[in-house]
Amino acid sequence: MALEPFKASDALTMGVELELQLVNPTDLDLSASAMDMLHLLERSRFPGDVKPEITESMIEIATDVHTRHDQLLAQLRQMRDTLVAAGDRLNVGVCGGGTHPFQHWSHQRIFARPRFKELSALYGYLAKQFTVFGQHVHIGCGSPDEGLFLLHALNRYLPHFIALSASSPFSQGVDTLFDTARLNSVFAFPLSGRAPFILNWSAFEQDYFAKMEKTGVVKSMKDFYWDIRPKPEYGTIELRVCDTPLTVERAAALACYLQALCRMLLAGEEPPPAADDYLVYNYNRFQACRFGLDGTIVQPRNNDNLWLREDILATLRRLEPHAVALGSEAALEDIYRVASAEGNHASYLRMQYADEGGIQGVVDAAVRRFRERSDA
Amino acid sequence: MPETIYTLFHETAWPVALALAWVAGELGHRWLALPRISSYGIVGFLMGSAQGGLLPDPNGGSVTFLADVAFGLILFELGYRINLRWVRANPWLGVTSVLEACGSFVAVFFIAHWFAVPLVPALLLAALAMSTSPAAVLRVANELHSSGQVTERTLHLSAFNCVLAVIAFKIVMGYWVLSGAGSVFQALWSSLVVLLVSASLGALFGVAVPALLRALGGMDRSATVAFAVAVLVLTAFTHALKFSPLLATLAFGLVARHRRVLLSQAQRNFGALGDLLTMLLFVFVAASLHWKNAIAGIELALAVIAARMAVKVAVTTLLARLGGITWRKGFLTGLALTPQSVFVIVLLEQSRHLGLDLLNEVAAIAAIVFVLEVVGPLVTQRALIWAGEAPEDGED
Repeated sequence: MALEPFKASDALTMGVELELQLVNPTDLDLSASAMDMLHLLERSRFPGDVKPEITESMIEIATDVHTRHDQLLAQLRQMRDTLVAAGDRLNVGVCGGGTHPFQHWSHQRIFARPRFKELSALYGYLAKQFTVFGQHVHIGCGSPDEGLFLLHALNRYLPHFIALSASSPFSQGVDTLFDTARLNSVFAFPLSGRAPFILNWSAFEQDYFAKMEKTGVVKSMKDFYWDIRPKPEYGTIELRVCDTPLTVERAAALACYLQALCRMLLAGEEPPPAADDYLVYNYNRFQACRFGLDGTIVQPRNNDNLWLREDILATLRRLEPHAVALGSEAALEDIYRVASAEGNHASYLRMQYADEGGIQGVVDAAVRRFRERSDA
Repeated sequence: MPETIYTLFHETAWPVALALAWVAGELGHRWLALPRISSYGIVGFLMGSAQGGLLPDPNGGSVTFLADVAFGLILFELGYRINLRWVRANPWLGVTSVLEACGSFVAVFFIAHWFAVPLVPALLLAALAMSTSPAAVLRVANELHSSGQVTERTLHLSAFNCVLAVIAFKIVMGYWVLSGAGSVFQALWSSLVVLLVSASLGALFGVAVPALLRALGGMDRSATVAFAVAVLVLTAFTHALKFSPLLATLAFGLVARHRRVLLSQAQRNFGALGDLLTMLLFVFVAASLHWKNAIAGIELALAVIAARMAVKVAVTTLLARLGGITWRKGFLTGLALTPQSVFVIVLLEQSRHLGLDLLNEVAAIAAIVFVLEVVGPLVTQRALIWAGEAPEDGED
């Protein structure tokens, strides 16, 4: 099967996918309730798309295509309220967060679908360890080459999204000291990491994808777990490094931050991406995973050391006119609050751990946070 | 010499019975995929004194107390898993519970009447039929690591119908005392006061123990042992005062849960201690049975079992979609509610001091207990597996 053609879509449209946790309100461990939830949600009209994920304690929701922050947020809130109500009827808690703080991967149940069973057979325990929860943001691209341009131009900003969304400090019952432990799980997969530096779609198709396909390692774009990957059937690029935040409000803000960044990059406000940008890519990525907003990254063009927090605040200032044009000022204000004072959801969860004195209290707090309508 | 051997047998009977039960449990599990507790029941029955086995009649001895503690731990854990807010969010669950319990009562009462069982024993039999034994459903669910709607609903309905059964049972007891030589005071005492005081004692523990744990700090590790000790103390108190340990421990778990000190997954079943006591409990229950009763009462027993299952399955199936699940899962929930044995024996044991000997009066009870002790867990196990709520690679 050759790579499908890249379907052009309206530039700067966006869509959000969230992988959410289903937990048992009693012991707050993951609960294999996806089938029951899906049954109930199918009976009512779900304001968006909802589908199973690889293990039965995950559920994935996806919005329609949006251009504006307020509309995206309204739909996400509707979906959240529907999910919470369904969970209440079934005694299932729904929450965000990139990892479940203390679930044991060997207890996870693989959802009964051929693709999931295949993945489970191929990856063994990795598939179950992959019980992690991410936010994916799609940005529509007018042409495939525009998509590849954005994909690579964003490389320098990738740590921003990791640090801003980080919400998985705990894993297997302990504080990992990483702000996002989730990305460490993703890294274990052989086809994770970054896309090859190719800026031309037909070159990507012939010189890379066709060759990879011939090796038998991949069958479709789905087999790549890249940080950002093109999604030809939607005509989008998909950012995959974000942890699922604790609130849908934060999820909407992150999507709009990406949208505004793309607008700036498409306006040609930066020198075009270069292969050498990737020299510092993994180092910067690690800094963001480990230290969150307090990480220090290296700017690839001039080798300056930058405090990630400062870099985000500086970027926000440059994005102001774009946010005005897109009507997403409120979203960027939220990002500003996170970077300047409030901190990401990883620090919120660590605070809850200190207050509640127990790892279950962390999940309990996440469940409560997801339910409540918040500004961020 | 023969005397020494006899004494030796006598004194080692319980440990040996437990060892045999363990072996049978493991083999039955491996070869026939039987729930372990089913095998414990078979071993207990065969080893019972009435069947010519080694076990002395356990009633009234220290083993009874241990069995009470074992059941207390299970009830506490069950209470801890009950989320009362769920009933508020989904009232159909409450409706299902009341209908299936009361329906079982009515159906079984009419059958007992048909079989010419006298009024009071018939009422008591009907009250017992309301319940689903929490010991079996919780053990099977934990053994399978099952999770999902059938599991959750079975556990919740089991807790609710046990409470309803205890209440009905105590009210009938009050009526019985009143209709005999007893005074109104005695009647009230043996029913309402016992119910209220037992539940209040449990609730008191439910408030006090988490508060103590919070004051001591570092709950993650010590909570399991602390709760086990509290259950032990509470059982001893209610046992000595002739209240209902059953209701007290369940109330303890319920209140403790809603005080939000959390037990972690690793401590389900109260660990190895819980496993050991569960073996004892199931052997104990079956060892109290007499084969003559089990055979004499088999016809009524089968009729009662069939009617009870029919009512429970009908109610859970008919209300399934209103409650938010599929017909199929509703049906399987009803099936999973089949076990009854441990609850019945423990409740009867705890009423013995009132001069009630229902186990020997109504032969059918022995037959019901025996059949459901072996078959009940198996039905629950199958229901959970058919519902797709148990991971395929089984356990641990």
